[in-house]
Amino acid sequence: MNLTELMIELVLMPFVAFVIGLGMVLMMRKIAARLQRRVGPPFFQPLYDIVKLYAKRTQTSHGMVHDIGIVMAVGGYVAAETLLPMPGMNGIADKGGLITLMYLMMVPSLGMALGVGQCANPNGSIGIGRALTAMLAYDVPFVIVVFGVAWHFGSTNLVSMIEIQQAGGISTWGITQMPLLALAGLFTLHGMLGKQPFEVYIAPAEIATGPMVEMSGKHMGGLFVMQSFQLYTAAALYVTLFLGGGENWLFFIVKCFVVLAVPVSLAYLFPRYRTEDMVRLMWKWPVLVGLVGLAFVMR
Amino acid sequence: MSVLKDIPVRYETPQASTSGNPLANVFDEFIRFCRSRSLFMLHYCTGCGAIELPPAMTSRFDMERLGIQPMVTPRQADILLVTGYVSVKTLKRVILTYEQMASPKYVIGICSCTVNGGMYWQSYATAKKLNDYLPVDMYIAGCMPRPEAVIEGLRALMENIRTGASDNWKDYYQRYDHYLANQQRLFGETWQTPTDVIGEAKNYGVLGPETEGEHTRLLSLHKQPLEPLRMTLNAGKLERM
Repeated sequence: MNLTELMIELVLMPFVAFVIGLGMVLMMRKIAARLQRRVGPPFFQPLYDIVKLYAKRTQTSHGMVHDIGIVMAVGGYVAAETLLPMPGMNGIADKGGLITLMYLMMVPSLGMALGVGQCANPNGSIGIGRALTAMLAYDVPFVIVVFGVAWHFGSTNLVSMIEIQQAGGISTWGITQMPLLALAGLFTLHGMLGKQPFEVYIAPAEIATGPMVEMSGKHMGGLFVMQSFQLYTAAALYVTLFLGGGENWLFFIVKCFVVLAVPVSLAYLFPRYRTEDMVRLMWKWPVLVGLVGLAFVMR
Repeated sequence: MSVLKDIPVRYETPQASTSGNPLANVFDEFIRFCRSRSLFMLHYCTGCGAIELPPAMTSRFDMERLGIQPMVTPRQADILLVTGYVSVKTLKRVILTYEQMASPKYVIGICSCTVNGGMYWQSYATAKKLNDYLPVDMYIAGCMPRPEAVIEGLRALMENIRTGASDNWKDYYQRYDHYLANQQRLFGETWQTPTDVIGEAKNYGVLGPETEGEHTRLLSLHKQPLEPLRMTLNAGKLERM
């Protein structure tokens, strides 16, 4: 591959991911609306929100770290997208691998912690404290799942994982080979998205949306962009590990949306867990299921 | 000012498009369209009008199909919804909240109480006309207005935003002295808010001839700069815990 092609891919991959992510935000809000017997937002609503937030006249910044934190939050995901193979575009996925991707997926949370820290709003501090605890909770099963998958395929290279799964058909997909790990992975995905049972760090009525409490204008817009990236990254990673990646664009997008629809549909049926309950739940059930799955994989 | 010809009339010539290019304003129009279709709403629900908002938001009338959704902090919000009467004490909080919001911002007064005091006209403790203290973009009259009326008012506001007719947030900057005069009349001369409105007006280039006046001069005499509270730990208390 020559340099020009690589550069084009590096620009195109985050952009495509962002567009798919906007669709995912729309799907999430539509599902929520339908479950509550509402009509839901119009088709371009996620785009309207982001354009409006960036077009605010007054921008309240609380200092340099506040701005840099948002850049880190978006930038971490932009970097992660270049490591996640898409149909026909690999970017730098064969050089990065799964471990690098895992690290990059933690950068946004840390960036937000930095940015929120400078706002000096107690609600924000409480929120980010809870968010980092939640990260601690879901990262343990996440690591177990990633370890099991890497062991099964004998590599941490996402491109070769996709090749193995696509060469052998459905019977070699991660979800048929390691169903227990796939189940634990879905649980982890739900925690990672911060959707309803696990959204105590956002808690609009109690701590005024936690980390987002002081964000306005383009800072909030950055977080909206981050959210669409986050939905895409989590779904695409799951599809890559367990559902054989994408043979073509249609299958890839359908798989991503289906994977995401599961936690999102479940989300609006439950009230939320407290932080310590979430840690207890995450360290008990997905870890248990994941360890049993790991035992089957490593036997 | 009972004689009609004594009422001062302001007339600002609308800025005509300088270039003949019909595509010159496309970007502005797109942004105005997005603003009108995405409104985050902060509701200050002190009065009885708040009762009519849940049906307007939930499955019966569903505001989200118009792109309107509730937000919980002033920083994120576009609309400040004041539902019902504001007492002198709550009005202070409403003004603090309004000044923290990011422009362009819009104020909606719901119920008769915000229009002219309503049934609290004779009360000594309520502010009568919200328009005196904050630049109201849309009044939804009624006691209380039904959810249909609320949706209708919000749609009218959306249309105003789309055509660019609703820019009262500039009025607050440009005639700050007028609003501050009314606020000082109610709260006393030492009234101040943490937000530096004049500084913001200068920074964003929306300074008007009536931004500064005798009342802002009075404010500058009393204004104390905000200082962060010092964090202290009571070690003796911690030891006993």
